[in-house]
Amino acid sequence: MIGVLRSLTATMATMMRKPVTIEYPTRHRKVPERDRAFPILLWDFDVDEPFCTGCHACERACPVECMTVTMKDNPLYAEGKSKRRKIIDEFYIDYGRCMRCNICVEVCNFDAIAMNNTWTGHELSSVDRKDLVMDLDQLMVLSKDKQIRPWVPQ
Amino acid sequence: MGYLLWGIFGVNMNVWLDAFVRLQVVVIVMTVTVMGLIYLERKFVGRLQMRLGPMRTGPYGTLQSIADALKLLTKEDVRPSTADFWLFELAPYVCFVPVFMTLLALPFMEGWFVRDLQLGLFYIVAISGVTVIGYLMAGWASDNKYALLGAVRSAAQLISYEIPLILGVLAVSMIAGSLNLNDIIRQQDTVPNIVLQPFPFLILLIAMLAELSRRPFDIPIGESELVGGPWVEYSGIRWSIIYALTEYAGLWGFSILGTLIFLGGWEWPFGTRAFWGDFDFVYQLVLVFSKSFMVILIMMWISASFPRLRIDQLMNFAWKILLPFGFLQVIVNGIVLTYKPSEELRDVLLFLTSSALLLTMAYVIYLATRQPSREERVGAMLAARSAQ
Repeated sequence: MIGVLRSLTATMATMMRKPVTIEYPTRHRKVPERDRAFPILLWDFDVDEPFCTGCHACERACPVECMTVTMKDNPLYAEGKSKRRKIIDEFYIDYGRCMRCNICVEVCNFDAIAMNNTWTGHELSSVDRKDLVMDLDQLMVLSKDKQIRPWVPQ
Repeated sequence: MGYLLWGIFGVNMNVWLDAFVRLQVVVIVMTVTVMGLIYLERKFVGRLQMRLGPMRTGPYGTLQSIADALKLLTKEDVRPSTADFWLFELAPYVCFVPVFMTLLALPFMEGWFVRDLQLGLFYIVAISGVTVIGYLMAGWASDNKYALLGAVRSAAQLISYEIPLILGVLAVSMIAGSLNLNDIIRQQDTVPNIVLQPFPFLILLIAMLAELSRRPFDIPIGESELVGGPWVEYSGIRWSIIYALTEYAGLWGFSILGTLIFLGGWEWPFGTRAFWGDFDFVYQLVLVFSKSFMVILIMMWISASFPRLRIDQLMNFAWKILLPFGFLQVIVNGIVLTYKPSEELRDVLLFLTSSALLLTMAYVIYLATRQPSREERVGAMLAARSAQ
């Protein structure tokens, strides 16, 4: 008898609370700072070039071999504007293959790569698998637009 | 509204035409209300569970019922090849027609009803009992064990709870001295029957939940064990007739009935003719509908709060608790009404006896369902051990 009344008050009490539902596709819950979506590259605003020198450390460390990196001579070094002798030429990451292990971020000597901690790293469904292979521009765009708060493990 | 309709047509309407027009009004209001109720239930239960309920279709999901109706009406109407054709096809209508027929005797406001029946209350409880035949037809014709189990369970449940329902209603009609719904409402102008008879109102509420197979009593349709009971094999428009129309029209009809005979209908608290002369029907309608929606919300609240009962608990509750106490209430009412010391004391006595019965029933249920405390259990164990 008392249990009956108690369950009635329990449901009424939950009714008085705010609904916890978030209408997902139109509204997003805030992603935590250390959220680990797919890796992206970071942009050095001081010299207007990527941090990445194309050293292949991440490519060699990647357990699923989802990265392709090529290196070139840095034209800005010749002009004396930059201290980087070599710079990234082409960078491909196959997001369909990446398992988001964070190893590339840990091995990077230049803190040039970071895990995407925004919603753009999660809503990536596409019709064709090839669309998941990201090139340098696509990897850089978040950092260039300052949409990312890089969180690199110390 | 009656006189408004007369005014619109400007002529003395033929009795048949008049009945037809009123019937159409009831059909339209019922359909709209059913859609509204489905939306209300989804929203309200959603809020009880800290969800939002439907939000996508229309502003705040208000068009959800229309979307659902369109989906159900355009779906394929599947029938198992081994089903009994006529019984299977007709069962939804046998379920729905009695529910609709109960609506015909209900006065929604002063002087507006399809037909004013002298035995209206009797007619309603009698006709609403026919629904069980539809359940049995559906369960038998589906050629499905789950459906048959559900049908048999619903037959047992509906017949068991019909009796407390009748007893609860009878207690009220004893006070009014009439089975005519209009008389019962007219007699509640100062004090609604819920004050005089709180216990029969509780009986009616519980019996209504059981008759509609709503959640604590949804043993016949229990999704987790009977995958929908008698309606396993139904789909499309037939399923929508059963589910949407029968269940929600029944919910609405029963709540209106409860409003009229217990909560004073349009009569309480303002009296029949209170404000605006010819346009009194507005507040009458608002009163009746808001009261009935209160009842519906309470029923939804109860539905969302309790887990499903076991079938033996259900039967025990009907036959061992509700039925004896219902009879007791009727007998006590008879004694009070026959040997009342005076007219003023009559109401007081009715209230006191009915609430005393209510409290007694609560205490009996408390005794029957009480779990012994740890000390008591240990004490009993020790006593048994020392006796050896």
